[in-house]
Amino acid sequence: MRLPSRASSTLAVLALSSCVLACDEVGGQRDIGAGFLMQQFPRDTLPRIRRPTREESEDVRLRLPPDDEPPGRHAFYWTRAIYNGGGRGGRGWGRRGYGAWSTDFPKGDRQFLVVLERLVRLDAYDFENAVDLADPKLRRFPLLYAVEVGHMDLTPEQIHGLRDYLNAGGMLVVDDFWGTYEWAQFEYNIRQVLPGRPIVELPMDHPLFSAYYQIDSILQVPNVRNGEAVTRGYGHTWEQDGYLPHVRGILDDDGELMVIINWNTDLGDAWEWAEDPMYPLPLSTFAYEMGTNMIVYGMSH
Amino acid sequence: MSGVFEFLFKYRPLVFEQGDFAFTSPAAVRMWLVGAGVLAMAAVATYTLARGRAARTDRVVMAGLRALLLGVLLFCLLQPSLILSTVVPQQNFVGILVDDSRSMSIADEAGRPRSDFVAEAFAPEESDLLRQLSERFTLRFFRFSSGAVRMDGPGELGYDGTHTDLGAALDGAREELAGLPLAGLVMITDGADNGRHPLTESLVPLQAAGVPVFTVGLGEESLAPDIEVGRVELPRAVLKGSTLLVDVVVTQTGMGRRTVPLIVEDETRLLGEEDVTLGPDGEPVVARVAFELDAVGAHRVRFRIPVQDGERVDRNNARDVQVEVRGDREKILYFQGEPSFELKFIRRAVRDDENVQVVTMERTAESKFYRLDVDDADELAGGFPRSRAELYRYRALILGSTEASFFSHDQLQMIADFVSERGGGFLMLGGHGSFAEGGWAGTPVEEVLPVVLSGTPAAPGDFLAEVKVAPTPAGAANAAMQLVDDSLDVRDRWAALPPVTIVNRVTETRPGATVLLQGTGEGLDPPQVVLAHQRYGRGKSLALTIQDSWLWQMSADVPLEDQSHETLWRQILRWLVDDVPEAVSVTLDQEQVERGEAVRLLASVSDSTYLEVNDAVVTARVTDPTGAVAEIPAEWTVERDGEYAARLVPSGEGSYDIEVTATRGGQVLGTDETHLVVAPSDEEYFGAGRRTSVLQRIADETGGQFYTPANVSALPDDITVTGGGVTLVEQRDLWDMPILFLVLVVLMGAEWGYRRMRGLA
Repeated sequence: MRLPSRASSTLAVLALSSCVLACDEVGGQRDIGAGFLMQQFPRDTLPRIRRPTREESEDVRLRLPPDDEPPGRHAFYWTRAIYNGGGRGGRGWGRRGYGAWSTDFPKGDRQFLVVLERLVRLDAYDFENAVDLADPKLRRFPLLYAVEVGHMDLTPEQIHGLRDYLNAGGMLVVDDFWGTYEWAQFEYNIRQVLPGRPIVELPMDHPLFSAYYQIDSILQVPNVRNGEAVTRGYGHTWEQDGYLPHVRGILDDDGELMVIINWNTDLGDAWEWAEDPMYPLPLSTFAYEMGTNMIVYGMSH
Repeated sequence: MSGVFEFLFKYRPLVFEQGDFAFTSPAAVRMWLVGAGVLAMAAVATYTLARGRAARTDRVVMAGLRALLLGVLLFCLLQPSLILSTVVPQQNFVGILVDDSRSMSIADEAGRPRSDFVAEAFAPEESDLLRQLSERFTLRFFRFSSGAVRMDGPGELGYDGTHTDLGAALDGAREELAGLPLAGLVMITDGADNGRHPLTESLVPLQAAGVPVFTVGLGEESLAPDIEVGRVELPRAVLKGSTLLVDVVVTQTGMGRRTVPLIVEDETRLLGEEDVTLGPDGEPVVARVAFELDAVGAHRVRFRIPVQDGERVDRNNARDVQVEVRGDREKILYFQGEPSFELKFIRRAVRDDENVQVVTMERTAESKFYRLDVDDADELAGGFPRSRAELYRYRALILGSTEASFFSHDQLQMIADFVSERGGGFLMLGGHGSFAEGGWAGTPVEEVLPVVLSGTPAAPGDFLAEVKVAPTPAGAANAAMQLVDDSLDVRDRWAALPPVTIVNRVTETRPGATVLLQGTGEGLDPPQVVLAHQRYGRGKSLALTIQDSWLWQMSADVPLEDQSHETLWRQILRWLVDDVPEAVSVTLDQEQVERGEAVRLLASVSDSTYLEVNDAVVTARVTDPTGAVAEIPAEWTVERDGEYAARLVPSGEGSYDIEVTATRGGQVLGTDETHLVVAPSDEEYFGAGRRTSVLQRIADETGGQFYTPANVSALPDDITVTGGGVTLVEQRDLWDMPILFLVLVVLMGAEWGYRRMRGLA
């Protein structure tokens, strides 16, 4: 069975990106879509699309969908781990001075889901879903995503919760941490969660790399600024001293992955900024392929 | 009592029952008597004119007494008689059937075996019974166990028959004596029938021929004290590593309500042990014991209770059953319509099961399938199987949330045939694409499902409910629903599991389906059917309407070491592949026989598409205990498609291996193996108490009588009056009954005493 080619997935990303481009209003205020329309049509025949105000856009971060319904309506919830560490300590919102866990939250998550559902026939919940590691509700979501884990500083409850979660059958995907210092910080924490389990480099013939797309090599996915710089010709994809990307894992007793570690790469930014025309398309494509593969693998192994 | 009756009334009650009462004096005598009666009346009337000291009441009383006296005399003079038909001596035959089975050697009745009665009653010189019988009838002796065999005399009895079949015995004797004037059949037995003939079929011809059966019941009705292990049911073949859950019925009489160990063992080792608390006398109690069979091959499992002190019968404390343990790896096809965590956790649950291979196929995009655990790259390369040959290679099919429109009509029909023709197991899991929500109503698969698909399915995303799952009574007894095999009540284990969610509202099952698990939740009335199953055609189908049983593994409310989810799925999957037929399968009509007893071998043969074939060449290769091999051909039975039969008579004791091969046109269709054990059977020692009800029934329905050794001496006379055959009408006088004389004396004495009392002289 032939896997869909890079080309078709790239086209899908491109198509969706342009749709998102027309609607997205967070942060950079890219008016291109609306402005174009205003040039072509007189004001009174414009379709009534109300653009959210800056305040409302800010509120997006705080406005979480209702969670009083038992999660079961959808087969899959993209779940982000809330953990202690980074910023001015403690939990919080947003990258700017709040906890590290919330990097690219919630825009990155929603963006990712939009494209994911186009690529895979998956019944996924369309909104972000953030759960603390110490929360028993965590067990309801057997696939978990954590970013900026180089700033991890887990509380004992979070360590215990994550350990039980992984031993029960859950899978954790970590992403967006660079360099030896951040690796050491992450490793220290994960060793407390899963003492005695070795961290192994995943070979390219691991089932993860053929679960949905066939991935033949690991590319380094930069953050959005580095990505734009690379496109302009003067930048590099690495941060700190993380020059080479690695995909590592921690296996359970039966050889299945419990933790997938994406080190020296930032898949989350690629998911979030795929519509940015200055972000290198092959890298965002690769990021989506990795994401899809991780989900298909995590839902079957 | 009957002795007193006989003294007073001259004949036994039976004679009065059989005969008709009549006055047999000639007509002339009657006329004279009537005349005498009238004169007597006149004489009495003149008495009334006489004056005396007697008061009116006195006169009435005395007149009454005198009248009664006269009445009795009149009665005697009218010659009362009994008219009955009696058997002509020496012109009729009587068949005497003696039970020759092992149960006759059981010692009861003060420590003497039952066979002693036969020896005494029919000892040639001393026996009164035999003498009286042979004076009146010509005797024909038979001995019977599973059939009746003529014998010359009681000396030929060996008491080694292994079954008692009363119906077959009566049939045999009747057929042998057909055409002779038969006064009756005498059957001497304990009545413990363990044969296969229904009794009614044998009694009807006897009724029609007017032949009464006189049964003599030997032995005590209940052999106390005794413990008996009842019949045990086990599947014929199981997969290696299966845990078997068996119900064993134990009955005790006279041993008290003690606790005894029930030991389960095979030829080499102990498999399990369970303590059984016995119930009240005569009441069966069920003991449930779980054990695992590991080694591949034929096993002889013995369920035994050690013989307790004082037990009367010690050979009914153990039961042997044959089980075959298969080491094959059964393939199950699990097709998931969209990625779901259910697939992940089912795979994890049965990952360690070596005997079940779950080939999974997940549709990740419109025409893209993710295959896992396939044997090679070609398996299922074209998507869901399109041909029967491809699909029938699997023993079971699981569909997870796949809408019906994904399959072509041929594929849907093929799925239905997979269950009905191929005999495979089918399971549909809950989800947006399952049941009514997936558009399965109106498809050929709808009939296969054990649940009724509701008329108005919810739109996707509309219906979602949380349910707490609990087993129904049928589910609590089902082996697959036991989450662990310890002594905790199965309901408690289920109650400890967290609630799960449903998106398919299912409340009704098809007739013939059984609900094993039920879900209760807010607003769910009637309760949700969570797990139901039914047999369909040659196979079985299950419906599991929940969509996230994986919560029972992942939820924070379930401890990490809890294996409920794994155990449940392992057992469900094994149940799905249990009893799924192969192309060729062989069965024997009995697993264990005695030496020289015939066994019928039945083989059912189909081709690769599971259509029965009638032109195959079927051979059974029999290896006997000494290692010698014999080849026996099996012939098509003609009655049923694809069925071939052969007859096998084992000559030596031990274990026989039988391998059946079917070929057609030089191509082998398949092979199957089974085993036969030839050993002495202990069947006779089970239920060996005297069955009075059976014997009484035989006697009543044929017009005979039931006797015990105590009153059997009346047998010859009874046959004479009740028997069939050549009979003669006889008239027996009743005027000289002692009771009449007694009544006369009493009346006269009463009148005289009354006179004295009243001072009338």
